[in-house]
Parts: sequence; C-alpha cells; structure tokens
Amino acid sequence: MVESVQQLFTGFGIAATLTNLLYCLLGAVAGTLVGILPGLGPIAGIALLIPVTFGLNPTSAIIMLCGIYYGAMYGGSTTSILLNVPGETASVITCIDGYQMARKGKAGPALAICAIGSFTAGTLAVFGMVFLAPPLAQAALAFGPPEYFSLMVCGFIVLSNVTGGSLIKSLMMAVIGLIIGTVGLDPVTGEYRFTFDTTYLLSGIEFVAVAIGLFGIAEVLANVDQPLENMESGILVPRFRDLYPSLQDLKTSFGAILRGAGIGFGVGLVPGPAPVIATYASYMTEKRISNHPDDFGTGVIEGVAGPEAANNAACQSAFIPLFVLGIPFAPPTAILLGALMIHGVVPGPMMITEHPDVFWGVIASMYIGNFILLLLNLPFVPFFASILRIPKKVLLPLVMLFCLTGMYTVNNSINDIWLMLLMGALGYLMRKRAYDAAPLLLALVIGPKMEVAFRQSLMLSHGNFGVFFERPVSLVFLVATFLFLALPAFRFMIRRLGAGARNEGGSG
Amino acid sequence: MLKKNVFFVLAVVLACIAPIPIQAADFPEKEVSIIIPWAPGGATDLVFRAVAAASQKHLGKAIVIVNRAGGGGAVGYTEGAQAKPDGYTLTAAVTPLTILPHQVKTAFTYKSFDPVINIVSDPSMFLVRSEAPWKTMREFLDQAKKNPGMISVGNSGAGGGVHLVALAFEKAAGVKFNHIPFSGGGPSVTALLGGHVNAVSVSPPEGISHVQAGKLRIIALFSEKRFDMFPTVPTVKEQGVNFVMGMWRGIAAPKGTPPAVIQKLHDAFKKGMDDPGFKKTAKDMAVNLEYLSPADFGKLMAESDESFSKLVKEIKK
Repeated sequence: MVESVQQLFTGFGIAATLTNLLYCLLGAVAGTLVGILPGLGPIAGIALLIPVTFGLNPTSAIIMLCGIYYGAMYGGSTTSILLNVPGETASVITCIDGYQMARKGKAGPALAICAIGSFTAGTLAVFGMVFLAPPLAQAALAFGPPEYFSLMVCGFIVLSNVTGGSLIKSLMMAVIGLIIGTVGLDPVTGEYRFTFDTTYLLSGIEFVAVAIGLFGIAEVLANVDQPLENMESGILVPRFRDLYPSLQDLKTSFGAILRGAGIGFGVGLVPGPAPVIATYASYMTEKRISNHPDDFGTGVIEGVAGPEAANNAACQSAFIPLFVLGIPFAPPTAILLGALMIHGVVPGPMMITEHPDVFWGVIASMYIGNFILLLLNLPFVPFFASILRIPKKVLLPLVMLFCLTGMYTVNNSINDIWLMLLMGALGYLMRKRAYDAAPLLLALVIGPKMEVAFRQSLMLSHGNFGVFFERPVSLVFLVATFLFLALPAFRFMIRRLGAGARNEGGSG
Repeated sequence: MLKKNVFFVLAVVLACIAPIPIQAADFPEKEVSIIIPWAPGGATDLVFRAVAAASQKHLGKAIVIVNRAGGGGAVGYTEGAQAKPDGYTLTAAVTPLTILPHQVKTAFTYKSFDPVINIVSDPSMFLVRSEAPWKTMREFLDQAKKNPGMISVGNSGAGGGVHLVALAFEKAAGVKFNHIPFSGGGPSVTALLGGHVNAVSVSPPEGISHVQAGKLRIIALFSEKRFDMFPTVPTVKEQGVNFVMGMWRGIAAPKGTPPAVIQKLHDAFKKGMDDPGFKKTAKDMAVNLEYLSPADFGKLMAESDESFSKLVKEIKK
C-alpha cells in the first residue's frame, strides 16, 4: 500500500512533464469530439489515432490513447442531452432523463452535472485502481461462461424496463433485438444465419446503424411531423443563470454520483460492455431507492448524474484487467491492448515490474486527464447549450447530415445508411406507439454474447442445464432475476387480494 | 457566431475522418489499409499492427489496420476479396483462408487473392494451467484416452485455424476432446486462466506472456523444432506423435492488383520486416518470422489449401 502510493507519486512525476501533459490534453480533446459525434465511438477514435502515436515513446502514446477512451465518456453525454442522440453506446441511458431536462430548459445543469459526476467518479476510480487492481482482477477472472450468461440474463431482464413504460412492450422490443442479433454467422459452428446470400448481412446487423436510426433519425422525424409553430416552442432555451446546477441539484446528485462510481467500478472489472451495463445498473439503482421513482424519465437529475458517474468509473476500472492480466474485457480496451503491444509493452502479470514508468505514469495521467476534462467541459457548458438556440429548421437537417456522414465513416458502407434510414422509420413508428427503443438496442448488443456464453456453458457441462444453478455466483444472478420478475407480480396479487378483501368487506 | 463555429469545427473534423477517393496514378497516394478478419488483440492483429507500424515509413503513407471480425474470418475475407484491386485495401492472409472454403460455402478462396508477402510462420501449441495435474503430453493424452470428451480445449472460434489444429491433433493422437469455441485467442486464454477450460489451442503470441510469467505451461508443441524461447519444452514429434502444424501469416491483395503495385507493397513490407525495431518486437511477442516472396507465398497457400481440403474431408467423415 505504502509502496503503491510512492510509485503513484513517481507516476505523477512522469505524467506531469510538459510533453505528457500535452498528449493527455490532446487525447482528452479528441475523446470529447469522438464522444460528441454520433456513430464515431471510442473504438473508432482510438483506432484512427493509433497511427499518430507511432513516433512517440510508449508512455506518451498510451496516455493519449487512454485519454480518448475516457474523454469519449464525457463527450458522449453532450449530444444525448441536447439532441437525444447518444454519441456512443454508454450514453443511451443519459438520453432518458438528460434530454427531458433539456426540454425543460435545464440543459446547462444536466451537462454540468455530467462533467462533475464524471470527474468525481473518475477520481475515485483512479484511487481504486491503485489499491485494488491486483486482488480485484483475480476475482473477476473467476467469471466463466455460466456466470457470464447468468449475469447477462439478470442484467438483461432488469435493464429491459429502464424507462418505466409497459414491461410487456419492453420485453417485446427486447425479443426483436435478440432476433435481429442472430443475423450473421453462427458464433459456434460458423454456419450462415439469415444472411439471404448477401455479404452485407454476414457481419450481422450493424449496431451503430440501429442506434443512430432508432434514436437520431427517429428524433428528427418525430420533430418534423409537428406543425412549424409548435416545433420551435418545443424546447425551452436555457437562460444563462440556469446554466449551472443549483445547490439543491448538487445535493440531490451527490449520493447518485457516489453510488454510480461504486457500481461502475465494480462492473468495469467484469467482462462485457462495462460502461453500457454500468449506466443501466446505476439508473435502475437510483430509480429503486428514489422516493419519487415515478418521476424518472421526466428529467430527474439523479438519472443523469448516476449513470454518467458510472460509465466513467467503469471505463477506468476496465483498465485493471487490461493492465494486470493483459486481458481486454471490452472492444475499446482490446484496441488499447494492440496499441500497447505495438509499443513493446506486453500487459500482463509482469507489466508493473517490467514497465513501472508506463503503468504508474498512465494511472497518474488518468487523474490529470479527468481534471483537464472537467476544466474543458464546465466552461463550455454555455457553448454546448447554445446549440439549442439554433432554430429547428436549421438544426434538424444538420443532425440528419451528421447521422448520415457519421454512419458512413464507421464502415464506409452505403448499405449501413439504408439500414439506418429503415431503422429511423421504424423508430418513428415505435415512438408514435410508445414502444421504447432502448431494450431493442440492448438486446442487439448483449444477445449475441449471451448466446455464446449459453452455448459454451452447455458444451462445457455436456448439455447439463444444472451448470447454471450449481455455481454459486451464477445462482445468485438467476435468483436476483427471478425476484425482479416475481416481485411486481406478488405486489400485484397482494394488492388484488387486499382490494378484494376490502370489496367483500364493503359489500358484506 | 458561436454556433456557426461549432458546426464548422465538426464539419472539418468529419471531413478529415471521411476517406476521400483519389484516382490512383502514382501508388501510394493515400493510406493503405489491411483488413484483419479477427477482433483486435488476437495473434494476427498484434503481428500486423507491428509490421504496419514498421513498414509505413518505407511505403511513404500510413498503413491502417481495419478489424472485420465474424464467422471465423469469413466476413473479413469476403470484404477483402471484393475490394477494389488497386493495392489500397489489403487483407491479412492467414491459414484459415485455406480452411474456411472447405468448411462452409464462401464467396472466396485463396485464389481470390494475389500473394504479396509471407511474414510469420508460427508453431501451434496446447497450453494448460501450471497447476494442471498433467506434467507431460503423455499424461495429458492418457487422461484424454481414459475419459473421451471430458477434457475441454478452448479455441479461438469454430472453423478458425487453431480449432482445426486441435481436431487434427486429436485424430493423430487417437483421443477425443470437448472443443469450446471462443471469440478469439484472447478470450480463450482468459477462460483457461480462470480455470473454465482444461487447455487451449493457440498460436504464439497468444498466451506466451502467461507462460513466461509461470501461470500457464506448454503441454504440447506442434513444431518441427523446439521453441527458441522455451528450449526445455519437447515437441510432440519427439514424444512419438507424428504431428506438425502451424499458422502462416502473410499479406495478400485482391486478385487483379497490378504487379507493379504488388512489388511496391512487397518491398515496403520486406523492409519493415528487416527493421531492427520490428525484429525485437517480434521476438518479444514470441512470433517466428519467415519471409516468403510473392511466388513462394502463393505456393505455400496452394499447398496448405490442398492439405486442409483433405483434412476437412476426413474429419467430416
């Protein structure tokens, strides 16, 4: 512990040199931009900038690339709140209450609380990394296919109903997501599934196209179908004094931020799309423990603060398995693994002893990077919020243009654009009939991973379904899932019985 | 004013990111991309990222790695084979290119590509945890013989190279394993470290750092000669199982690429291979460099295709 603190100070010495500070700033700025642009996620951002780092020493290179990753977590919230377009997958949840806050003229406080929450969580996560990295990564390794599957089932069921609409509609959307998630090549046997002999469908349904379509395009369409005069009065433009959160806002968010940081940190250690799962889990927690759960979805500040803190903490704690075990648990950290190897740093049990300068330098830079991002984001809140002052007739075509170009840059595929437009039309109809798009998206991401884990588990157990119940961690997740599904039913029955008893009492 | 600036900045950023098609006059005029048909972090990915980094100064333009994972490589190879044959879109030609077309209906074969250069020939191997009960290959195979289908062996995905290596080895050794596919070499090694499978079929550099750290052991090595890095580990051939199999990793261009362009690419990658920095990286990653000219690489692919054609037919029987 004492040694860790000493080495952290050495790391600060490395990270605080002018060159490294500059690369940290560059990474943070690039990350923020990547996060703001819909369709261009941290994976694409890091991949695009790896070639830029080739002339650098490994520490500077990794400092910059890591900056892109956590910078994107800050940036992703901006478009979610202002335009209801998630800049990257981890910001889907932020749309729910963030966008509603913006509609109520509270875009400024929402953006500011995102920055503050992300900073607080990021800072806590860095300290967590210093002290807990080695033992925690070991524990996370104990997750095998059955645990992974049960965790995803649990997450999936719990998260399917985030927006609090009709559970049945949410589950229907989730099933559609699961179904379209099976398109492509069978992950186990390599057979083609539902590809209709086209090459385009071989790689499956492009997630980004579905995401931008269901959220971005559908939003544009939903706006367009309103009479012009209504359109302009839809959003209240924030006045300047409303730009920063009030003391009351900060007080309300404080607990949510701390809980979000804790949840995010834990989830980041487990394989999977950590920031996405963390945001959903945090949102659910806030809703559960809130004394006004019915207000969620109408622009509640805890619903923004918690998930934003969670995604930042998760993306930082995800570095623990990457550095200590050399194992990437999510695509962005997998890209970073490649970058580390190119620079001659082999992450793994020996990294801390072989490359202490890189390890501690990068960890210290994350702390500095979070501070840079806070400084970068807070003063620009009025700047970002000013997007809302743009008349809709100008803004909507611009958003459309962003969606189109952003989509094309992902795979340079024109088919992706058609798919995105189709999803946009579908998203518009779903919105009209109050079907929530988030479960569909979540199912599309988690479904294929869940299928692989399920089939691996059964192959390992030679077809015995008991494998999911015999392993304690897996069992805990399944019991939690059952309780989540059963509790509302019990409550409903009790209420029914209670009402019945009263009715009988009344008539008798 | 402010809002105008926002969009101006964003538009410039987008313009920088979006690729601008240029008519090829003097190759290369823009960056060259290499399609890797697997997820980032796997063996092929790591090797090609390093070689791209070392070769781009010789090519004069950036070399970009594009990961197109899916279907044990089928997605990336289909895309690579259908790319414009102008030398700007290359594909990582790795052993599964000559396996997949025999296993599933594909829109490509190795003949859909023109060979550019072979860079790596790696032995395949089985790894187990260091605390595994088997100390030697014999003990490992004895247990497999006594309990057919009970020893689980992870691989980097159905139809991929190491999956077939595992199948071919069990045939050569007369045993039966329980094959568990993972989405890439990285995840299969993770599962082994966590104790969720008994062994994994890999090709260096996957898992090597864990062998060096003493967490994993090489239980079966399928190369002709012993491994420089671990001279005490015997090959399976030394121990009486006549089985040698490895993975080659090279670069190919879509069929019909102008020979002059291929020559230019070949020269740049050859210089990159000779770069001392890359040689050191390759040594650190425990990959075995083996240079082959376009003609020799073409021959290797043809031989490999023929032998896998037979092997797949035998296994399917």
